[in-house]
Amino acid sequence: RLPSGRRRHRESAAEGCPPRDGGSMRCQQVSVLYFARSAELAGLRCETLSVPRQITALQLWEEIVRLHPRLAVIRDQVVFAVRQEYVLLGDQLLVLQPGDEVAIIPPISGG
Amino acid sequence: MDESEDVPKDFIKLKSEKLSVDEVSELVISPYCGAVSLFIGTTRNNFEGKKVIHLEYEAYTSMAETEIKKICRDVRQKWPSVKHIAVHHRLGVVPITEASVIIAVSSPHRTESLEAVMYCINTLKASVPIWKKEIYEDEYSWKENKECFWANSEK
Repeated sequence: RLPSGRRRHRESAAEGCPPRDGGSMRCQQVSVLYFARSAELAGLRCETLSVPRQITALQLWEEIVRLHPRLAVIRDQVVFAVRQEYVLLGDQLLVLQPGDEVAIIPPISGG
Repeated sequence: MDESEDVPKDFIKLKSEKLSVDEVSELVISPYCGAVSLFIGTTRNNFEGKKVIHLEYEAYTSMAETEIKKICRDVRQKWPSVKHIAVHHRLGVVPITEASVIIAVSSPHRTESLEAVMYCINTLKASVPIWKKEIYEDEYSWKENKECFWANSEK
């Protein structure tokens, strides 16, 4: 279902990923963390993903939804946290470093 | 008297054990402060006519602690006389009537600690990555704080 090299679980070795249009060809291994409803929809709490170093927040979301299509229903309600800073799902260019944490953040309800 | 011995401190804890009001208030008590203000968030047994069995909380723990630290830093900027701040939030299952969050602030006079406590809980609800699931008899629901700017306004 998925092109090889595009998705990696923690226990698999990284192979690099195919070049993408409009972005840096160098790929980074980042950790994607899922919380609350997004963890239920994706069916997991974390995974390692190979993504281009430069990618917009929206492009990253679309990549994640390609892997976990059930997440599409919450697209209008989530933001990312990249290196623990909130980022809206838009055109902001993310400059990712290897090992960066990207978290899917559904609407919060602490307190 | 040497107030420099009583350095202002932030006490932040996310834990699954039952929270203690005594423990949290004692953390912020200071001989230089005449006021300790407290907020306790407790779990209600009903929501829109449905019986709530219990709540479950989860957190992006490292970022939640960082965001709470930012709140403490903001409190000290807005109310410089605030001495100590304690924020304890429970994670995991929280039974009805038990506390899910306790916030305590000390200051020399009462106005600052009262205002700071309100600011803490309001800002926590808007910015700290913690999620609450309400468990009913036949279903459950992930709650969304109205303070959260990326939540849908309509369900």
